[in-house]
Amino acid sequence: MQNPYIPYPVVVDKITTEVDTKDIKTFRFKFINPEDEQKYAYIPGQFGELSIFGKGESPIGIASSPTQKGYVEFTVMKAGVVTSALHEMEEGEVMGLRGPLGNSWPLEYLEGKNIVIVGGGFAFTTLRSMINYALHEDNRKRFGDITVIYGARTPGLLLYKDELEAWSSRSDINMNVTVDKGDPSWKGREGFVPAVCKDVAPSKDNSVALICGPPIMIRFTLPVFFDLGFSKENIITSLEMRMKCGIGKCGRCNVGSKYVCKDGPVFSLAELDALTPEY
Amino acid sequence: MEKRLIKKDALAGIARKMTGDFAVWAPVKKEDNVLFAPLGPGDEPFFTYLNSKNAPKNVFFPHTETMMKYTRTPQGMVFSSEVNEAGQSVLFGVRPCDAHSFVVLDKLFDQEKYRDQYYIAKRQNTTVITLACVKPPYVTCFCTSVDGEPVSSEGADILLTDIGDEYLVEIVTEKGAKLAGYFGDTKADTQAEAKKAELAAKAKEAIKSKIPAHEVKPILDKNFDHPFWDTIHAKCLACGTCTYLCPTCHCFDISDEVIGSDGIRLRSWDSCMFPLFTKETSGHNPRPSQKERWRQRTMHKFKYYIDMFNTIGCVGCGRCVMYCPVNLDIRKVVEDISKL
Repeated sequence: MQNPYIPYPVVVDKITTEVDTKDIKTFRFKFINPEDEQKYAYIPGQFGELSIFGKGESPIGIASSPTQKGYVEFTVMKAGVVTSALHEMEEGEVMGLRGPLGNSWPLEYLEGKNIVIVGGGFAFTTLRSMINYALHEDNRKRFGDITVIYGARTPGLLLYKDELEAWSSRSDINMNVTVDKGDPSWKGREGFVPAVCKDVAPSKDNSVALICGPPIMIRFTLPVFFDLGFSKENIITSLEMRMKCGIGKCGRCNVGSKYVCKDGPVFSLAELDALTPEY
Repeated sequence: MEKRLIKKDALAGIARKMTGDFAVWAPVKKEDNVLFAPLGPGDEPFFTYLNSKNAPKNVFFPHTETMMKYTRTPQGMVFSSEVNEAGQSVLFGVRPCDAHSFVVLDKLFDQEKYRDQYYIAKRQNTTVITLACVKPPYVTCFCTSVDGEPVSSEGADILLTDIGDEYLVEIVTEKGAKLAGYFGDTKADTQAEAKKAELAAKAKEAIKSKIPAHEVKPILDKNFDHPFWDTIHAKCLACGTCTYLCPTCHCFDISDEVIGSDGIRLRSWDSCMFPLFTKETSGHNPRPSQKERWRQRTMHKFKYYIDMFNTIGCVGCGRCVMYCPVNLDIRKVVEDISKL
């Protein structure tokens, strides 16, 4: 039986610097033992523990989609001990990966519904997984309209620029990319995410909003969705907490009686209302 | 349930005899303390002890434990081996509250989806021999308020009860039956059983410290933001003694250590009393002051653990009460909550 604390060995296959500040990179990992890829069957919205021997582990949302075979990707900001060490790594180096951990975006619930995806800044990674999953030819017909509202402070801080462009050229997804402040080369929309949400005004009918972003964005975006008539069951977000084990044992990421690592990280606002406001 | 009798002075000899076949953990005097420790050749088990200063959970969940080893290669550090050594052990002479704590901890470590194999391997390979509290050892004992009893086989494979000149030996589980041979072949008579029942009832009666542990659950459900929490923690030093001595506290940290070209990943006990426990890399801390930490500790024991596992996360051993350097008494806290 698999020991849940032992990482799968992976090799750093590809590193992409995502932003002009160079502190956010996407790491593509390949499993050293091919059978481990089967064991790492994941769903958009789940996370993994990136494991650098000698440094420790860091819980990070999975940025690739399970429809992308042969690898798994994580977009990581350089912040603490482990992520700083990760940013120093080079392609070809070996490290560890645990998981997949946590629940996921509620795929069954989303089936047949319109999906409104709202992301701010760096918190777009598991939403990207969801978008690529939903847009895949095997899955697209399972979902209704897909509307994306994604914002960053500046054009240089937008993640996945090539994909944003590719999605924009498709007719089966409504893309709304915005920046707080543009630059001379920016031809797109300017404005904060909550304002753009108000402007785009997605219909509440048969719709679910998946919202991830910095607390300030969430705070001003939620009233917009309440005004649009979205119920708390249909506004869904993903929490972050300090974690170690990732499997509900080490005791630090609980919000009330729920462990964010095991019972989350994805919760609807209705579910969060039932928990203690300690996150 | 098979029952036998042994002479009281035979007990230490039985424990020592077992050391030939198993690692035997027993209460031993170390400096001014009684601790559960592996019984060495010259060690004398101390079975007339009250209770050990440390909770014996460290037999299954050591303070510090190696989870895996890794080694340096040209490609960087790679995972080299997983450590899971668990020989056959006997935990000899634990008090009923501490044996109860294993049942509480099992619910966390041995879940259907995520099984903690470090804990489980040691737990499965260990036979628990409980030494009943015929005389409750401390005025701070409150096991009867948290689903325990001073003479109880909860969590035990074998239960020993001092009935005067002899110990009544009750084989509780099949695991216990495998060690029955060590306890001679004198069958217990009904007189011995009657004596035990009488002593058990008296012992239960003798636990005078009572807390409304069950009654506070619905109050805690509704009072996360009550002003009560604003002052309760005021004298707490955040030393973490309560959590380190607690038989049911299970929080741990995972860290890496590199020595030369090799390294280990280990886990060590951590505490919700510490600011760093929940502090995130961004600097944000969802439990920024001792107020939130005390609320967490209380809620975890008397609400969250019940929500998660339908069991109170406290066995009433009273260690946190006895050893808190500022006399912050969980019994008083629970009592006060019951009046909110």
